[in-house]
Amino acid sequence: MFEWMVENKELLKFFYTFVIALVCAIIVVKTDRLFNLSSHKGIRYLRNAFLFYGVGFVIRSLLEIPALPFKFLNIFFEFFLIMAGFFLLYSLLWKRLETSSKNYNSSLFNPRIFLFYSMALIIALIDNLLGTYIFMFFSQIALFILASIISFKNYKNNGKKHKFLKFYFAAMLLSLGAWSLNAFAALYLWRLRFVTGVYMINTAIFLLFLYGVMKVTKK
Amino acid sequence: MVRKRERLEVIKDVLESIRSNRNIKPTRLLYASNLSPQMFKEYINELITKDFIKLEIDAKEKKTFSLTKKGQDFLQEYRVIENLIENFGL
Repeated sequence: MFEWMVENKELLKFFYTFVIALVCAIIVVKTDRLFNLSSHKGIRYLRNAFLFYGVGFVIRSLLEIPALPFKFLNIFFEFFLIMAGFFLLYSLLWKRLETSSKNYNSSLFNPRIFLFYSMALIIALIDNLLGTYIFMFFSQIALFILASIISFKNYKNNGKKHKFLKFYFAAMLLSLGAWSLNAFAALYLWRLRFVTGVYMINTAIFLLFLYGVMKVTKK
Repeated sequence: MVRKRERLEVIKDVLESIRSNRNIKPTRLLYASNLSPQMFKEYINELITKDFIKLEIDAKEKKTFSLTKKGQDFLQEYRVIENLIENFGL
């Protein structure tokens, strides 16, 4: 099985990216429709998170094409992935941080989000200058530790009433696991087994989110 | 203690009042919405701007509110929106 995976590595990578980009597209379409009706900021940030994950993974697939001389795209890949994480965390935090008196018309271009853009860009640039992914990995580990704590609190407070909160918390823990495994692989041994493990966990996380969105938006 | 209504819940209540009363007068809607006059004005302006409701004035200058298609869509989807917000902790 593993040998077959090694032999068909490129095909599997393409399939992996395709599945995740498709999941992101479905989530973006579903949440965008609900945002347009409700103007709810949390829905807006959740939609943005999956929009950025989707774009990030599409850029990643371009990086896999050896003939393309677009290695600078790596900066954009990292930037979109980091921003997606920030948006996901902010979708959980915005109620605690935003006052009703300050309403920004755009969720992509406002001073608060500009701070996230700056941080994401700095991390992506440092990583690319040093030829590593470590700063991205550690920023995402810190981010998902925080997201796990918040989602655990949400689950403890409302888990009995709202069943998906349990899966949301599980998705945050899995994300933390995937980023930690990524960092471990980058620091110690970058083996295909580890990378395959990360791919499988990532696919499970995105499918879990898709399941949640489909389930809770079912009429 | 009485729980403070969330913004979306207030919008749902206002739209439901309009739907159940069909062409409701502003004063009646103000009482039905259970909002202060200032808040009522803000919500009504928002709902008109977002094309959820429309204000109609007849020949006798009588003002009434009615639901638009978008307002009806919101009421139909309200449960789904609420579900997403609560299940994802948004």
